[in-house]
Amino acid sequence: MKGKETGWKRHISRIGKHKYIYLILIPGIIYLLVFSYIPMYGLTLAVKNYKPKLGIIGSPYIGLEHFKRLFAETDFRQAFANTIVISAGRILFQFPFPVILAVLLSELNNGKYKKLIQTIFTFPHFLSWVIVSAIVINTFEYDGVINQIITIFGGEAKLFLADKNLFRPLLYLTDNWKEAGWSSIIYLSAISAISPDLYEAAQIDGANRMQRILHITMPGIKSTVVVMLLLSIGGIMNGGFDQIFNLYNPAVQAVSDIIDTYIYRITFQTGCNFGFSTAVGFFKSVINFGLLVIFDRLARNCGENGIMG
Amino acid sequence: MKLKKHKKISGSKLMIYILLSVWGFLILYPFYNAVLTSFMTEKEYIHSGFTLFLKEPTLDAYRFVFSYSKTWSGYLSTLLIVAVGVPFNLFLTVTLAYALSRKAFPGKKIFNFIVVFTMYFSGGVIPSYLLIKSLGLINSLGAVILSYGVNTYYMIIIKNYFMGIPDSIEEAARIDGANELMVLLKIYIPMSMPVLATFLLFFTVDRWNEWYNSMLYLTDADKWPLQMVLREIISTTNNTLAANVSDLKTNFSMGIKMAAVVVTMAPIIAAFPFLQKHFIKGMMIGAVKE
Repeated sequence: MKGKETGWKRHISRIGKHKYIYLILIPGIIYLLVFSYIPMYGLTLAVKNYKPKLGIIGSPYIGLEHFKRLFAETDFRQAFANTIVISAGRILFQFPFPVILAVLLSELNNGKYKKLIQTIFTFPHFLSWVIVSAIVINTFEYDGVINQIITIFGGEAKLFLADKNLFRPLLYLTDNWKEAGWSSIIYLSAISAISPDLYEAAQIDGANRMQRILHITMPGIKSTVVVMLLLSIGGIMNGGFDQIFNLYNPAVQAVSDIIDTYIYRITFQTGCNFGFSTAVGFFKSVINFGLLVIFDRLARNCGENGIMG
Repeated sequence: MKLKKHKKISGSKLMIYILLSVWGFLILYPFYNAVLTSFMTEKEYIHSGFTLFLKEPTLDAYRFVFSYSKTWSGYLSTLLIVAVGVPFNLFLTVTLAYALSRKAFPGKKIFNFIVVFTMYFSGGVIPSYLLIKSLGLINSLGAVILSYGVNTYYMIIIKNYFMGIPDSIEEAARIDGANELMVLLKIYIPMSMPVLATFLLFFTVDRWNEWYNSMLYLTDADKWPLQMVLREIISTTNNTLAANVSDLKTNFSMGIKMAAVVVTMAPIIAAFPFLQKHFIKGMMIGAVKE
């Protein structure tokens, strides 16, 4: 009994010794508990029939009703399929691009040109999709500059933003336009960590640029590339809400409606029961969580840090 | 032989310069085209193809944008969100980063888990919306400010940076009886100024670009930040816009839209060339392993 008491005391004195750490910790932890964890509790709505008057806690349980309805809903199935197809398309058509940019950039000598071109490449990342989508619309609309060029060369003007076959490629292209330069920085920093001795030795051996890239640069950034690839596969449930939400329209909804845009639409535009849209969100969050955990672990096994840094 | 080899290398280098310059041009031209459009008359817009110069520039679109009251209320809201929101972000993120960068203390693992788990799982849009609603924050800028607090990615980068500061530096202060709070204020923050400045910039850009939470929570258009005003201008037809300004001379909606784009991104364009190296540095700090 006495021993236990002193154990307790020691424990409390240990906490007391660190009291300033807890003081510093409190604001951030309280913030997360309120703005991240209370909404997590709110996910229980997925198994409830939400009644605004009764609130989240008071609304009656209805079991798996929402989920049964969910899998029968064609719009949901479409959004789910689109999310996966678009994410896969991004990995296929967008993922390699920043790697190529970084390799090319690393071949330049440090100088004014490199600085300037990198400034240009990274700039669009700092604009919102609201701005970028306006620029995309201006560039690709019926009277826009792309169509004017097409007609000059005798082609026929296209409705890029309303064409089901062209809309997804447009998504990949414009997201690359906005983000590739920024994403290349992580590979550039990996390249800068490669020992210059290797390049010197290769130079002495008479290797040309292509050989140096293939045999020194690429192996040097392989682990970074693999990690980034695994992390983007882990994020496959996010199809890129900001971009699609600001660019899509009813004409291309069938090929571009992803889970997140679907949730927004049914919640705030068609006004369906909050319980049902929470069920959609819950379904997405759970799969997303599983994928992130699996692919983050795989990434970590590749000797890197994963999304935790 | 030697000459030939030299020539070949410069050939491949030339190729790289060309490829990168083409990509650079493809990035720049749409911006330039947007600016041109904002000064164009409708007639010129429809008839000119790929142009670099304007024949008859007009300021009509800008006259519209600047006489549109929501442009000014939008700027005001955005500035308020930045002015209050960024210190809020920095305070929460830096305190958390510092506390978690400390060596073992009771409960550290639990706190660390509470933070990291939010990167993997979230309640999503509806529960967050209901939380804001129950806090009585619908249609208040407070909703927009509070919805973005700790940025966990930034927090981890700052934490790793703090962990890289050698213990020996704070030991002297500790011998003099300084507590954790004083060590943070007197040693860690002053020593990390360049890094913290980088994250101040990141938060400022995030806040400047804020539109999603405003769309969810601000029902009153007079409270919208600039990005939401821009969204509205982009998605409405000119007739609706014209109803708001009686002496409207132009009804060329694409011109007005691009003028609004220019007005919204002008501060970022003006500041970016000077700040770009800080952004890249921030990304590099994040990329380097502890």
